[in-house]
Amino acid sequence: MPEQSETLIRVDKLTKRYGQRDVFSGVSFDVKAGEIVSIVGPSGCGKTTLLRCVVGLMRPTTGTVYISDAPVVDPPEGVAMVFQHFGLFPWKTVAANVAYGLTVQGTSKKDAAPRVQKLIDLVGLAGYEKSYPYQLSGGMQQRAGLARALAIEPSVLVMDEPFAALDAQTRDVLQLELLRIWDTRRAAMMFVTHSIDEAVLMGDRIVILRGRPSSIFDIVDVGISRPRGRDTVDTERFRTVRDYVWRAVMHDSAADTPLPTDADAVRIEL
Amino acid sequence: MSTQNDVVPVAPASETGPSAARVRDDVPVALTRPSRHRLRNVALRFSAGIGLLAVWQLVVGGFAPSYIATPIDTIRRIPAVLGDVQFQSDVGTTLLAVLEGLVIAVVIGTMVGLVMGRLPDVNRVLGMYVSGFYAIPLIAIVPLLTVWFGYTPTARLAMVIIEAILPIIYNVAEGSRLVPTMYLDVTRVHHAAWWRVWIGVVLPNAVPYVLAGLDLAIGRALIGAVVAEFVTAINGLGYYILFNVRSFHENEAMVALLVLVLFALVIRALINAAVTYGLRWYRPTEES
Repeated sequence: MPEQSETLIRVDKLTKRYGQRDVFSGVSFDVKAGEIVSIVGPSGCGKTTLLRCVVGLMRPTTGTVYISDAPVVDPPEGVAMVFQHFGLFPWKTVAANVAYGLTVQGTSKKDAAPRVQKLIDLVGLAGYEKSYPYQLSGGMQQRAGLARALAIEPSVLVMDEPFAALDAQTRDVLQLELLRIWDTRRAAMMFVTHSIDEAVLMGDRIVILRGRPSSIFDIVDVGISRPRGRDTVDTERFRTVRDYVWRAVMHDSAADTPLPTDADAVRIEL
Repeated sequence: MSTQNDVVPVAPASETGPSAARVRDDVPVALTRPSRHRLRNVALRFSAGIGLLAVWQLVVGGFAPSYIATPIDTIRRIPAVLGDVQFQSDVGTTLLAVLEGLVIAVVIGTMVGLVMGRLPDVNRVLGMYVSGFYAIPLIAIVPLLTVWFGYTPTARLAMVIIEAILPIIYNVAEGSRLVPTMYLDVTRVHHAAWWRVWIGVVLPNAVPYVLAGLDLAIGRALIGAVVAEFVTAINGLGYYILFNVRSFHENEAMVALLVLVLFALVIRALINAAVTYGLRWYRPTEES
């Protein structure tokens, strides 16, 4: 459960324009410490662009992103990112890829090694330290991508459709793995996805984008306690939230009835 | 050079993690069919070569003057030519010049190519000249080189470098322009220093393009060396060919020609071996 805690990411009236066309406009939301916020919306609604603006890889046209109260201009310290297509360097081994964030910070190989090994074990890649990315399946490559992001012990973790390039089974496995790993180190997380199920399973709250240019249609409190797991998707609350988000994204008029808060919902004990 | 290398080994049903089976890249999977296919190709190639040589032998042996080279006479002359001290030293100097030129061309060409590819301003200034020189027959500048460097091995080396460096610059510039944004995003999110971006990402990303450029450069370097020797008359394989043809020793010239072909093949094989052992991550997509 998100407690009353500090806001780590604050997105303030963000607008991005390419040429004459707004991709999104007036987007405002925040992410608190130890909270996962899912960003969901139809493809082409600018989810990835929004995320790139948040981490400072791209400048918004208007509006400001604050991370730990500092306006974001360039990628700030303590922010790690997991990419849809993994972003592993093909010329580096798994261990060297995982160590990348530490290496460029000037950590010596000796000092980095134990931490890197711990992370490789954590994501389940023990035995593959010396493998090159081309020798791994997509799911294993994304495990390495996740380990690289965690290596710098980020306070903010942004995920850009991290499982979109994987097959359905692998995706299910990795979702649960990510939940398990996140429970051991609860960084503030912004989770961009086009899968509504994934958004509900991961998020404490869900930001729903829609329209052209897209803007926030609603921000939903998921209200399912943690730790979550495979059983989560079988709960009444999960189905309720999923249906609501689905209707919202698909412009169904039933979404005009707002989602009841989790206080009204039957609480599921795990 | 196994044709199976491009089959990406994926551990099936191994997504549960630590228990996943170790991926091996040297498992001979279904080697029989492609290898039979390859055997047939080799046989076809070989018999086509034999056929060509037979036609040559028959036509030249039957209708041409006796000093014109034939396959059989060429083969007969091989031991004598290879034993000739002058020939050995000619092979050595030409080979050394070509290798030296290739090394210099790869080092400088890669650096220039990277800078051109990554810095649009440099590309704007140099791009036109590189494409221009790449397009013209560079043989035309050999007379100029003889004026600048004299009738010396330096002129030959200059020619080899000029011939070899252009395809490398051209390829590397094109390749490094296309560094995937994702890689650069990774460096930016992790605050990598500028030199780490160049050495750690831009350079390794350009390796396939360096190799593609080098592939073209080998042939051009040999052309440059031989042409320079023709014009400057300095000792080397090119001059050996010229000298023997002019003294009606065509079969000897033919042997030298074969050695040139062998050069190109050996250099290429050496590079392939270096790539296989030195760059384990690099998997060129092989044509089938």
